[in-house]
Amino acid sequence: MRYIVGYTDTPAGHDALALAVRLARTNGAQLDLVLVLASEQRPTIVPADPGYEKYLLDTAEGWLADARARVPADVATQPHVVYAESLTDGLNQAADDLGAELIVIGAARGGILGRFAIGSAANALLHSASVPVALAPDGCRALEGSPALSRITCAVGTRAGADELLTAGIRAARSGGIPLRLISLVALDLPPDERLAQALRRAETHARAVLEQAVAHLPDDLTVTTEVVIGDVIEHAVATVDWDPAEIVLIGSSRLAQPKHLFLGSTAAKMLRELPVPLVVVPRDSGPTIGDL
Amino acid sequence: MTASETSENSTAESGALSKKGLGAGTVGLVGAIVIGISCIAPAYTLTGALGPTVAEVGTHVPAIFLVGFIPMLLVAFGYRELNSRMPDSGTSFTWATRAFGPWIGWMAGWGLIAATIVVLSNLAGIAVDFFYLMLSQIFQNPSIADLTSNPFINVITCLAFMLGATLISYRDMQTTQKLQYVLVGFQLLVMVFFGIVALVHVGAGDAFDALPISLDWFNPFAVGSFSAFAAGLSLSIFIFWGWDVTLTMSEETKGSSSTPGKAATATVVIIVVLYLFLSVALINYAGVGEGEYGLGNADIQGNVFFSLAGPILGPLAILVSIAVLSSSAASLQSTFVSPARTLLAMGHYGALPPKFSKVHPKFFTPGYATVVSSIVASVFYTVMRFISEDVLWDTITTLGMLICFYYGLTAFACVWYFRKQWFTSIRTFFFQFFAPLVGGLILGILFFTTIIESANPDYGSGSNIGGVGLVFILGMVIILTGVVVMLIQSRLRPDFFKGRILAPGTAGDSREAMAALPE
Repeated sequence: MRYIVGYTDTPAGHDALALAVRLARTNGAQLDLVLVLASEQRPTIVPADPGYEKYLLDTAEGWLADARARVPADVATQPHVVYAESLTDGLNQAADDLGAELIVIGAARGGILGRFAIGSAANALLHSASVPVALAPDGCRALEGSPALSRITCAVGTRAGADELLTAGIRAARSGGIPLRLISLVALDLPPDERLAQALRRAETHARAVLEQAVAHLPDDLTVTTEVVIGDVIEHAVATVDWDPAEIVLIGSSRLAQPKHLFLGSTAAKMLRELPVPLVVVPRDSGPTIGDL
Repeated sequence: MTASETSENSTAESGALSKKGLGAGTVGLVGAIVIGISCIAPAYTLTGALGPTVAEVGTHVPAIFLVGFIPMLLVAFGYRELNSRMPDSGTSFTWATRAFGPWIGWMAGWGLIAATIVVLSNLAGIAVDFFYLMLSQIFQNPSIADLTSNPFINVITCLAFMLGATLISYRDMQTTQKLQYVLVGFQLLVMVFFGIVALVHVGAGDAFDALPISLDWFNPFAVGSFSAFAAGLSLSIFIFWGWDVTLTMSEETKGSSSTPGKAATATVVIIVVLYLFLSVALINYAGVGEGEYGLGNADIQGNVFFSLAGPILGPLAILVSIAVLSSSAASLQSTFVSPARTLLAMGHYGALPPKFSKVHPKFFTPGYATVVSSIVASVFYTVMRFISEDVLWDTITTLGMLICFYYGLTAFACVWYFRKQWFTSIRTFFFQFFAPLVGGLILGILFFTTIIESANPDYGSGSNIGGVGLVFILGMVIILTGVVVMLIQSRLRPDFFKGRILAPGTAGDSREAMAALPE
């Protein structure tokens, strides 16, 4: 099993590497550290300079060597410098070429208190990848060397379905021998009166029903907890949940996505801005690829 | 799978993707021509250089432009030889160090950096003029165009342009190929249109000061004095500066090995024809007198299109503004790269602090070197704007001198570096010995002539400090500053200056690989 790490010698790149090491340690995956350089074939106004290209390649290889040196010895790594039109193209291409099952990238810096601020490159990847994409929040690198994952949280929508997501969550929890938490986030923006109370009850009942239906299909060997969280907006709902820094959150791709490709939905995008823990976005119809996480 | 296999695979894959929609082969040749023209930036170059050249040689501008190409071509041959032997982003710095040792190499690098920094400030200055001219044309309010003569507004606008160009270079933002083609095509068409309309005015008898076209304009020997000839020549070297990039463009990225040669030839033919046509048309239209629009009028010589576009094109003059602006913008971007890469190489080889060799981890550009170049160019422009009577003119003249300095050194570096193989074949004799030697000698003569002449307070624009020509002072200050900085660096970083990092030698010796950045 191979995971792609979209590496740059920046704090975001270090976050990605730290998260990838934690994920790899739970199941012995190999990490492919991929550094994407701009293709010489792209149109430029500046004449190509082979001397500079060589210098850049050497520098990039140096960065990858430094990165590998920081990875604990029990995790296998492989460095790659690839040329592509864009970071997204390069990582998707590398995932295809290497048959990787996950792409790990760091969110851009600038998120408040370790939360996500999505750079344009990460955003493009979240709307095009054909394998799950793991996003490491800012500050993730501080947890380097920490024990493996503590819990898997699946953010289940209010609509039934999302089988791929549950499958992925189950297998991940089972392989790590860790608890699975199913969570349903509900946003209700109404004035605080009788109607709100009713709506809240209805929403809670509905979300409960969805979760219970999901739990009913779960195997018995897992510790499963469920939670319904309601807020006036998704962001507030996310903020009230209790997050463990060593857990990861799985969310599904939007129904707008093309089959087998990611498309970050609006709810997921909102969650992303508030989440303080790593997040994995799972494409629709991805089948069991993430299962062994 | 090993790392290198993946790299190759992926490169091949992405290469296939990027060619989508474009015919194979056409990208190479047309693309190279577009890059070449975009680097020379004819609209910008001509508006900056035509006036000063007329001031030196009068109607003989076409002759000087033709002759000016000869040393450029000869030196470019040597440049290409060195580039194919030691492809290194330090170019002149690395090559001169390999040929003559660290001290001369350091000064060649300094000359290159200083020349590009001077041209950056001139480019931004021209762009400011045309920016306000364009605004005045859009709002049909002539007083807006005068804002550019207010030094404070001018400097602030110029700094804003520099900031923009720095950001673009720092973040390595590239325009799409289509946009480049459109901009370059537009620039050429507008220039041709500009010339045709000027000739139509002459034909209709309503030209400003029609001067009948004469074959004598093309005769370089008719130029009055040697000093005028030399001054004109050093200016005309500036107008071809940048052309050499098409000649040295990397062959492997362009598919065919004959593409760079064809592209360089096509580029230079287009450029020469355009320069000759436009300079003939404008002299034909406006004469070289000192009247309001005469090319001999010192008030308009620093930026002639700025003054002539209106009378010639009337309401369509805005086309010239857009052409010059886009040409300056493209040239700003391509020019920014060259001092930054040379600084990076100097940092890498230990000739400057190692900070200069840092590559930005996200944008993959020489970030620190780019910012330093930008700050120095901005300060230079600001100071010049306040001490010079005609900043654009003076910077262009200084630039001519600096180009002669570092190109001359590069040409001699080529001759000396290949000294053991001059006579191994006719090819090496011509390209590694004869062409660069003659080119270097011409540039060397021009350099010293310009230095001596420019000490005269009446030289060029007539700017002077205490009776000494400003161009002379500038040239001396720039070169002597280089010497001082070099002496300081030699104390701080003795390894480079003792030849331990980049040792002098000859072509093909065991230490040649040291220069190919990195091993």
